[in-house]
Amino acid sequence: MRRRDFLGAGLGGLSLAACEPFPSQPRPPVTVHHPGMQAGHALRDQGTRNWPEPTGEIDCDVAILGSGVAGVTAAWKLAREGHRNFVLLSGPEPGGNTAGGGQGELRHPTGAHYLPLPSRESVHVREILHALGILHGDPQAARPHYDEMSLVHPLQERLFDGGRWHDELLPVEGMNARERERFQHYVAGLRGKKGRDGRLLFAMPSASSSQDSEWRALDALSFHDWLQREDYRDARLHWYADYCCRDDYGVGSQHVSAWAGLHYFVSRTGEAANADTGSLLTWPDGLHTPVQAMLGQIPFVDEAGGPRRLAGTAVQVRQRGGRCEVIALQEGGRSLRIRARRLIVAMPLFVAARVVEGMQDFGFDARRHLLPHSSWLVANFQLRRFPREPVPRSEHEYVLPLAWDNVLREGKGLGYVVATHQLIRVARPERTVFTAYKALPFDATHATRRRLANAAPGELLDEVAEDLLLAYGDALWPLVERVSITVRAHAMSIPVPGFLSNAGLTALRELDGPIRFAHSDLSGYSVFEEAAWWGWQAALGVLGERS
Amino acid sequence: MLDRILILSVFIVASCGLAYELIAGALASYLLGDSVLQYSSIIGAYLFAMGIGSHLSRYVRDEDVLNRFIDIELLVGLIGGISATLLFLVFAWLEAPFRGVLYALVLIIGTLVGMEIPLVMRVLNARHAEFRDMVARVLTFDYLGALAVSLLFPLVLAPKLGLARTAFVFGLLNVGIALFTAHIFRAQIRGLRGLWLRGLVSMVVLTAGLLTADRLTLWAEQGLFGDQIVHARTTPYQRIVITRWQDDLRLYLNGNLQFSSRDEHRYHEALVHPAAESLPAARSALVLGGGDGLALRELLRYPQIERITLVDLDSEMTTLFAESSALTALNGGALRDPRVRVVNADAAQWLEESREVFDLVIVDLPDPSNFALGKLYSVPMYRQIARHMAEGGYLAVQATSPWFAPNAYWCVVTTLKEAGFNTWPYHAHVPSFGEWGFVLAAKHTRFTPPQSYRVPTRFLDADTTRAMFSFPADMQVPEVEPNRLNNQALVHYFERDWSRVIR
Ligand SMILES: Cc1cc2nc3c(=O)[nH]c(=O)nc-3n(C[C@H](O)[C@H](O)[C@H](O)COP(=O)(O)OP(=O)(O)OC[C@H]3O[C@@H](n4cnc5c(N)ncnc54)[C@H](O)[C@@H]3O)c2cc1C
Repeated sequence: MRRRDFLGAGLGGLSLAACEPFPSQPRPPVTVHHPGMQAGHALRDQGTRNWPEPTGEIDCDVAILGSGVAGVTAAWKLAREGHRNFVLLSGPEPGGNTAGGGQGELRHPTGAHYLPLPSRESVHVREILHALGILHGDPQAARPHYDEMSLVHPLQERLFDGGRWHDELLPVEGMNARERERFQHYVAGLRGKKGRDGRLLFAMPSASSSQDSEWRALDALSFHDWLQREDYRDARLHWYADYCCRDDYGVGSQHVSAWAGLHYFVSRTGEAANADTGSLLTWPDGLHTPVQAMLGQIPFVDEAGGPRRLAGTAVQVRQRGGRCEVIALQEGGRSLRIRARRLIVAMPLFVAARVVEGMQDFGFDARRHLLPHSSWLVANFQLRRFPREPVPRSEHEYVLPLAWDNVLREGKGLGYVVATHQLIRVARPERTVFTAYKALPFDATHATRRRLANAAPGELLDEVAEDLLLAYGDALWPLVERVSITVRAHAMSIPVPGFLSNAGLTALRELDGPIRFAHSDLSGYSVFEEAAWWGWQAALGVLGERS
Repeated sequence: MLDRILILSVFIVASCGLAYELIAGALASYLLGDSVLQYSSIIGAYLFAMGIGSHLSRYVRDEDVLNRFIDIELLVGLIGGISATLLFLVFAWLEAPFRGVLYALVLIIGTLVGMEIPLVMRVLNARHAEFRDMVARVLTFDYLGALAVSLLFPLVLAPKLGLARTAFVFGLLNVGIALFTAHIFRAQIRGLRGLWLRGLVSMVVLTAGLLTADRLTLWAEQGLFGDQIVHARTTPYQRIVITRWQDDLRLYLNGNLQFSSRDEHRYHEALVHPAAESLPAARSALVLGGGDGLALRELLRYPQIERITLVDLDSEMTTLFAESSALTALNGGALRDPRVRVVNADAAQWLEESREVFDLVIVDLPDPSNFALGKLYSVPMYRQIARHMAEGGYLAVQATSPWFAPNAYWCVVTTLKEAGFNTWPYHAHVPSFGEWGFVLAAKHTRFTPPQSYRVPTRFLDADTTRAMFSFPADMQVPEVEPNRLNNQALVHYFERDWSRVIR
């Protein structure tokens, strides 16, 4: 091959670059979804009274209320251990924060999108992934083999900064190398380090972490303040820490407990035989795929006695004469009474607080123990073509291609993920979906939530399009076929300073009566591993009593 | 009235002046990279040249002012108009003189443009306009013209017309001003005839340039390819260029040579026959890629093969090779053979969706030069292919050059092994490519290189086949990893290997 062959390609690109269409384009159609909002607000406004008289009744051994990761994991584990007599009540949003949308090549997430390689302690996640055929061989091996289609393919991520793309979120260029190294060294040193009780300082799931008070004292200050205290000054390092907090917890490092901040960096220790440590697992529609696959492995039937899946929202939960009783509101204003020996309440705690009678008796006082929530927007931009990435301006310049996760340093959002990234194709598909994530700034007064509830679609569009416009400018608009925005106003608990010593959460975690709770809220922060952990524990609890 | 016309021409002249500056700056930063440096040095040089022009304007005698102004307009129009295209052409052929030509053009145009405004002022001054008023008006329109272009250029002209055609349009404007001025002041101008003639010639040249800018770019490509282009087309997937020089027909995709008719038989015989000859019972074959129909031509030589499916992305490519007589002469009309079914689809997607099983699979896909293409040479892709292969079948894969890119080549071999295949690597010398590599793979271990061929071959015989399957001492196997989707080792090997070869 000669130099000229390269030039030929360069010239071709050049002439195309010169016909990019015009700015100031009309906006595409937008649809806005507020999953669970109507049901949630009805519960808030109406309380547990005055629901229609139940027209049907179901009797079962175990009822699981909520079909997010925690609920589905509980059901999956029950079924796997041979339990059949249970009911899974979906709640207003099947899948919860792992819902997805679209079809075929254009499937996309409307919530969670990836899973880090599970740590040694995440035995539950490993068992699930093994059963789903994503993890091969011994599920508890130090370095299992993972399905390549599920491992994120290169380019995993890139960062837009100073007008061009860089291949690391914490770029070597333009920052204090010593601080970068000091931070990375410190974090690496904490991995595998144990407290005085012999348990890992920062384990995933967090319930397996050490109780060593010296380290849990970190929970008293914010991650931001901890960085300051440790004399980290570099603006980029601070940006990076803040970005990671926003990406995982939904708010910046100033509002996140230092323990949680470090937990993010230290706890992801999963290794693989066929991938680097720190690799991620993903699917075109995010965690929707594995959660659907788990549901697919439960032998649901449509009759009494078998595992059953029901649509409906619990509006009242109480204990009556040694049994649990649930009123579930269904389509068309009908309602259903579910009687069960045991309940697994897998709905968010702020909902449970309104639905479950006697939460206080369990040691949970909503006014004191509910953690604040972060609000998220997930916007799926369906594109008729891929936008033009910058072309190399000379044969010596290497321009980074579109990555799976594309982050903009100056962006207010969290960047965008490409739904078609994992496909194998000779040419990339004509159409694609970019999923832009935005976590809204911390707001103690709930004004953000009130605004979101009533915001016009166009207003939300401007808000979620910011990052994409930074990357592509107005040339983006003609390519957008439609946008669907999912508003998750109560998306997740925030691990604010002090969250580790939240007595209400501790009480709910330890509950082992007829009612058990299972939700990521129990951990105080929201990731798949935590949600699944509580579903798993609840199932084990129920199974343990039976035998 | 006349003054007003002159002032209006200031507006246009100023727009044109700035336009050339912007075009030169944009071109330099496109082609040479490092836009800040390129841009500011171009602008610096241009402004400096304008200073020289202003200075030179004092040597124009008063009685010549109008004539010189018109001459300068014509020159600016002509040189400025062709500047962008000229630079493209120069760049396409040789990089070394490009900078020289670029700066020479910038200096010439800048100098000429620098003379314009002083001359206009002198014309107006000579017409006894009030000095204070005149300076104010001229400069106002000068800056307004600049403003207009600085907005129009990035928003409308560069995106809609491209740089080359934008330059021609401004060239025409300059020449228009020259002719218009000549017409208005015809009474005061000497040598009017010659002037008209020069003006018209410039007009014709620039209009022709404007209309043929596309073809000129092609001509620039001609420079890149060296040979005469007989067909060039941009499809949604690629740029297809076919060149001819004497009896040598060549296909380039996105500037990369795909075959030369002089030696493509070597490539295609090597790709197809070791597999096809070893499976006399083969009834069906699958070709992934290969829209030129040349691998098909070789497969069709076997009468027992009853059906062949060819999956190629680009329908324009398969149509071209099915219809153009020069090309069907080369592939023997293979794409229209009744035994052949052409599917225009993405080969990887087609494999996901189809359930058909074939005795022979020939994979002739683009080199793994980026992450997206690297996936076509991955373990999951080969496992997918295995699902479409009969137990006794063979797979032949083109696998880049084991000589120029040994790590990449052996990585393909290792990846096929990782996917569960038994492999028999081989290579052939294809003069226009150099030493080229293939891999034969099967689910069984029965293969031995053929001793003879039942079908007519030009390159393959017992000796060449034996040589193909043996790797001499200077082509030994390096230690390489298989290509995994999540590490894309192959793309890294490919890039590293080839960067050592390309100068
Ligand atoms: C935008 C976004 C991105 C994320 N990205 C990631 C990621 O990349 N990786 C990761 O690991 N995690 C991610 N997370 C977090 C992850 O999605 C959650 O941790 C997990 O899905 C939580 O599951 P859950 O079961 O605890 O709760 P939820 O998802 O909140 O599920 C609650 C369930 O309860 C049901 N319910 C509610 N009210 C009632 C009622 N009254 N009666 C019955 N049922 C009811 C709902 O319908 C729902 O099915 C993300 C979260 C968000 C919001």
